[in-house]
Amino acid sequence: MSASSPCRHTDLAPAARRGGGGGRSLARKTADSVARAVKDVLQNEEIAARPGLLQRLDPRVKLLTLILFAVTVSLVHSVWLLTALIGSTMILAALSLVGVGSFARKVWLSGGLLALLVSLPSALSWFTPGPVVVSIGPLSLTAPGLMGVATLVTRVVAAAGFALLVIWTMRWPDLLRALSALRMPDVVVATLAMTQKQILTLLRTVEQIHLARESRTLSLGSARENRDWVTERMAFVVRKSMKTADDVYDAMLSRGFTGAMPSLVRLHLATGDWAWAAASLAVCAAVIAADRVVGP
Amino acid sequence: MTETDFVLTQVGHEYRAGVTALAAIDLSIGCGQHVAVVGANGSGKSTLLKMLDGLVFPTAGAILAFGAPLTEEALEDPTFRRDFRSRVGFVFQEADVQLFCSSVEDELAFGPLQLGLPDDEVRVRVGDVAEHLRIEKLLDRPPYSLSGGEKKRVAIASVITMQPHVLLLDEPTNALDPRSQVWLLDVLEDWKLEGRTVVMATHDLSAAAEAADRLVVLSEDHTVVADGTPDEVLAQHELLLAVNLIHEHTHRHASMAHGHAHAHGPGTHPDQAHGHEHD
Repeated sequence: MSASSPCRHTDLAPAARRGGGGGRSLARKTADSVARAVKDVLQNEEIAARPGLLQRLDPRVKLLTLILFAVTVSLVHSVWLLTALIGSTMILAALSLVGVGSFARKVWLSGGLLALLVSLPSALSWFTPGPVVVSIGPLSLTAPGLMGVATLVTRVVAAAGFALLVIWTMRWPDLLRALSALRMPDVVVATLAMTQKQILTLLRTVEQIHLARESRTLSLGSARENRDWVTERMAFVVRKSMKTADDVYDAMLSRGFTGAMPSLVRLHLATGDWAWAAASLAVCAAVIAADRVVGP
Repeated sequence: MTETDFVLTQVGHEYRAGVTALAAIDLSIGCGQHVAVVGANGSGKSTLLKMLDGLVFPTAGAILAFGAPLTEEALEDPTFRRDFRSRVGFVFQEADVQLFCSSVEDELAFGPLQLGLPDDEVRVRVGDVAEHLRIEKLLDRPPYSLSGGEKKRVAIASVITMQPHVLLLDEPTNALDPRSQVWLLDVLEDWKLEGRTVVMATHDLSAAAEAADRLVVLSEDHTVVADGTPDEVLAQHELLLAVNLIHEHTHRHASMAHGHAHAHGPGTHPDQAHGHEHD
């Protein structure tokens, strides 16, 4: 081997310890987030394929009854009844073989925490007068204020729970078929179908863009440089998505697109679907009636 | 009744002023022919296919499809559009573009349902094509969850269910592993036996020579510079070098270095294999 051979290199310097110039780049963080988003979508497909209670229901019935539960949640004022409804979402999650722990985490972190942060200031005595329950310095939280916060948080968590059950236990094609069967205009269903696919395709593109950059990047760069780069790449992705949209439309025209999105799948209601629908209706009516009696 | 599927007379296309995609193309494609349009990247192959599918229209010259003028106005007529779309199918280069339904089954059924065929007939077609292309297990899956090779199969299947007389394929061997390439060539062979027309755009000379009985060469000036059987066209090394389809390549055999014309592509054409006498 000659002295100028590229194989005659010096050893790599050992990696610096974390905190000594290390840290994740913006590109790596973005790529990780994108990869997580794609993984989430694919994981939902896996959950929706499990042989659980909700997965067995006709998509139309499932969609309608879970919307019914969400509407009921918005009409109920009693924190106890709302808590019971949250409990019912947990039971439904368990019967549908959805991991109750991850379900609860998702609902409480994405819904509950946000609702708490947004509504907590309303419990201050400045906004909601009443007997003071807790005082921290000049800030006083009142009993009616805290009751309002509890109502909002439990309501958001219960509604988010029912919504998440729909998303997790229904495959995307089934959801679109249910919307179509419930007379949602074809153009809306077609747009939803293409939007999800387009988002996934673009997410993969974005992930590859960031990984390609990271593989050629020697230093993390300044925050400003990173922001500029991300903005410029966002513009590229927008241009690419517009071009893809044109191509997809051409592909649809090529196969005779007439404006409708027909499907071969014909949905049929089974006895279990009727039973589930009747039970859901009865439970919702009972909860609303009980709320009138119990009150907030 | 005509024995010629397409006739292009002095066809040209400019994307915008000064940017030429195709220039003065004279071409006729006979019924049942398997034609490969070969050319370097940017030579206008994809634009030509889109024109044959009525997605892009000439800015000069005219196209006849099955004896009738193929124009934007003609395709606005529902009867003409339905008749034309039922006869011509287009497999796009990027399978992702072509798969826009929520499940593979809907994807395969989309074309026939758009043509207004009854559900039972569509179901039979979908089942037959899925079995033939060995994608039955994919029917219930959303297209975005498929691998690259599976997407390509589904994209081809989604067009075959329409049973078109003419199949247009844009870079069909791109992103296909060797086994899938052999599968595709078998599918095309079946189509040849059924007397259907195939027009494929590719820069993979080996696939073109294997699948087509006629090669049309587009130059980087966007004109047709050769048109003949694969043997006739592939023998013109100077021409293939000039249009950037092959390049001079030097390599070693034991102690001897030598150069010869060389094409790149997923497969290897027999003409490119060669033997040498060594010391």
